[in-house]
Amino acid sequence: MKRPVLVRRHRPLRGGQPLAFAVGLILALAVGAVLLMAADHEPLRVYQRMFEKSLGDQNAWSLTLNRAVPLGLAGLAVAVAGSMGLWNIGAEGQILAGAIGAAWVARIGGTWPGPMLLTGMLVGAVIGGGLLALVPAMARARIGVNEIITTLMLNEIALRLLQWLIHGPWKDPDSYNFPLTPVLPAQAHLPTLFGRAHFGVIIAGAVILVFGIAASRTAWGYELRVAGSSADTARYAGISLKRKILTVLLLSGGVAGLAGGVELSGTADRLTEGISNGFGYAGIIVAALALMRPSGVAAVALLFGAVQVGGQSIQIIGVPASISTILQAFILFGAIGAGVFVRYSLRLVPTGVDASGEGGTAA
Amino acid sequence: MSQAAAVELVDIWKRFPGVVANAGANLRVERGTVHAVLGENGAGKSTLMNVLSGVYRPDEGEVRLDGTPQRFHTPADALAAGIGMVHQEFRLVPSFTVAENVVLGSAERILRRQDVEARVDEVARRFGLATEPDRPVWQLSMGERQRVEILKSLWRDARILILDEPTAVLTPNEADELGEVLRHMADDGRSVIFISHKLHEVTGFCDVATVLRGGETVAASLPVAETDAATLANLMVGSTSLAGERPPYRTPGEVRLAVSGLCALDDRGLPALHDVDLEIRSGEIVGIAGVAGNGQRELAQVAAGLRGSTAGSVHLDGKDVTSAPPRRRFGLGLCYIPEDRIGVGLAPRLSVVENAVLRTYKGHRRGPFLVGSRLTAYCRDLVERFGVRTGALGDPIAGLSGGNLQRLLVGRELSGRPDVVVAAQPTRGLDVQGVKAIQDLLVAERDAGTAVLLISEDLDELLTLADRLLVMHEGRIVAAFDPMDSERSVIGEAMAGHLADEGAA
Repeated sequence: MKRPVLVRRHRPLRGGQPLAFAVGLILALAVGAVLLMAADHEPLRVYQRMFEKSLGDQNAWSLTLNRAVPLGLAGLAVAVAGSMGLWNIGAEGQILAGAIGAAWVARIGGTWPGPMLLTGMLVGAVIGGGLLALVPAMARARIGVNEIITTLMLNEIALRLLQWLIHGPWKDPDSYNFPLTPVLPAQAHLPTLFGRAHFGVIIAGAVILVFGIAASRTAWGYELRVAGSSADTARYAGISLKRKILTVLLLSGGVAGLAGGVELSGTADRLTEGISNGFGYAGIIVAALALMRPSGVAAVALLFGAVQVGGQSIQIIGVPASISTILQAFILFGAIGAGVFVRYSLRLVPTGVDASGEGGTAA
Repeated sequence: MSQAAAVELVDIWKRFPGVVANAGANLRVERGTVHAVLGENGAGKSTLMNVLSGVYRPDEGEVRLDGTPQRFHTPADALAAGIGMVHQEFRLVPSFTVAENVVLGSAERILRRQDVEARVDEVARRFGLATEPDRPVWQLSMGERQRVEILKSLWRDARILILDEPTAVLTPNEADELGEVLRHMADDGRSVIFISHKLHEVTGFCDVATVLRGGETVAASLPVAETDAATLANLMVGSTSLAGERPPYRTPGEVRLAVSGLCALDDRGLPALHDVDLEIRSGEIVGIAGVAGNGQRELAQVAAGLRGSTAGSVHLDGKDVTSAPPRRRFGLGLCYIPEDRIGVGLAPRLSVVENAVLRTYKGHRRGPFLVGSRLTAYCRDLVERFGVRTGALGDPIAGLSGGNLQRLLVGRELSGRPDVVVAAQPTRGLDVQGVKAIQDLLVAERDAGTAVLLISEDLDELLTLADRLLVMHEGRIVAAFDPMDSERSVIGEAMAGHLADEGAA
């Protein structure tokens, strides 16, 4: 009798993660095909349409890029914290706080010239997101409160704050009582690049690039990796964990906040409750699939952007939007499942032999 | 023989690559006794218990229960045969209640909470194990958690209970309570195997003791009442005569590391160091001997700056560094080879390069950037000089063997040309070659004028390397010896807390 056993590889399979991603994608498309057939749709036609509408031409690309901006920034926010072993589950709330910060600048600076107003709004967004992350960051750094819980709970608080603002003090008097703020001033919109793509694509790309370089090439990024690998080793090497935790969580919040500001000034024309569209939670998936690496975040965000844009496009031909959500979930399952084999290989061993003895010699 | 013993381990051999863990070990445990298994680290205690509890299968030899030969394939087989083991690290689910943890994984299919709790309580009371079955485990102290572990075994009706260094995590009071529980169990006709190297507990709790050394049984089933602790200590450390392998000893220079009146707490917040005074001079190796858990680990950590002190001072080259962080002490020439290689000295998921530059990365910067080529060159030099056998330098260190990990770590620490080396268990768990390599490095360091503090549980190593030998017991330095001119037996007695007058510091 033989039984399969997962054996840890000495080093991760090279190029394994993109491969795992491809496996996840194929798996998701296969499962999606079954669902589509069950719902009386032709999978190939639906997939073709998804592809055309998300990547088929320049206009499609511009939509995908726009969607990838908040996904990428939120993913980066989670990945920055994740590279140190911290979980920022609060990107959603920080996006809202960032949007609130940007909207507030737009309210007080409605007459400013465009570049100044836009810069102010984006700075306001970063500060908004950072402020929301300040409490979890301090609590974690000073007294060790689990940041997963605190960041998650603050999502709810940020949402309530936004609701209060758009139902109350910031409500547009001409909105027929809809919970909306007034339309942003015309100069508060990010310039267009091509098609529908706005300047936020450049901002997000630059921010991801800067963090990517900082994480992989600087002493700061190295210290982050040491701290993420083992807190005791970091203490041993004299790396201040408290300061690292504080700066990393604040940066994480700031980046998520920036996503809110870019979304407000790029694709929205006013602050609404739906400004984030779940990007903060999707960002956790993006970061997880990117293995917390900024370079991976950009690629995964683009792919998820395409899936989301494609998913919306098929609603017109009567396919439920939930199919697109299900596809995303299956890409995640497939990629994470296949990702196990990046670190482990499968071996058949005779039953009864203790695998525990083998590990002792290799370690 | 009137009656078969509850447990008989006959001539057990167990080999691992490069190591013979058990070389014909024997153990005979009678019903209704508390039986101590004694031995230094590496004596083969854990391996032997893993054979008994079904984790390992012996290469040779036989396991008999009540005279019947057994073949265990898994720990579950051993459990079914009535052998329960309480490991040093508890295997409990923190968010589950006591009762839930006790029944978890047992064949029980009843799931009514009150029934389970009442039955767990009943078993607990029978053995004097005070617990609250409905409390979640995370709220419990270490002593209470251990009781839950014992309850788990009793719930499965274990007739033989193995406790692996059970008092390591307990306060003295809790340890005494444990002794009473074990007594209850023995009176109930069960057998308890108590692995320890705290001699006073063995003499306090146990009826019979078996001593292992080098994988062999050197004394079987000694009646504890008729044996004193010093005899047991001597059996543990052995009495092999030392060959003249000692490197030549030179006159030491000025004081490099001075510790005075040092007090510190352990991880549980209990006092671990009491008023420790220590001076180490340039060009000498000062060895600290002691049974594990007598404050050696804390002493090294306080010296390195990784643990705070509650009183006293640490001076490095005459400078007061009592409250200096680890990095400043390193800058002043103190390097530290920690007991936990992976997880403290080395970052587990990072590459060989990333680990090699842990102390020096700030010197390889250009602006905020680390210069990759310089990091790699530094690492390659280190790897070559210290003979670290490794794959690609960019690969995670997980692929390196224990000996090569330690060469990397020791090499990294020593390449900073330190004035003081604090080495905690630097050769533990290494193969013969690895031990020799690390020992040679420490001696070379001493010969270059470095002050070396060597903490080891291997008395042979200390007697071979140390120029002066201090013995720690219960957080105090209780004796000082000249390793050239001391009887192992006298040192052994000091380790057991029995002070010989002429050896006292």
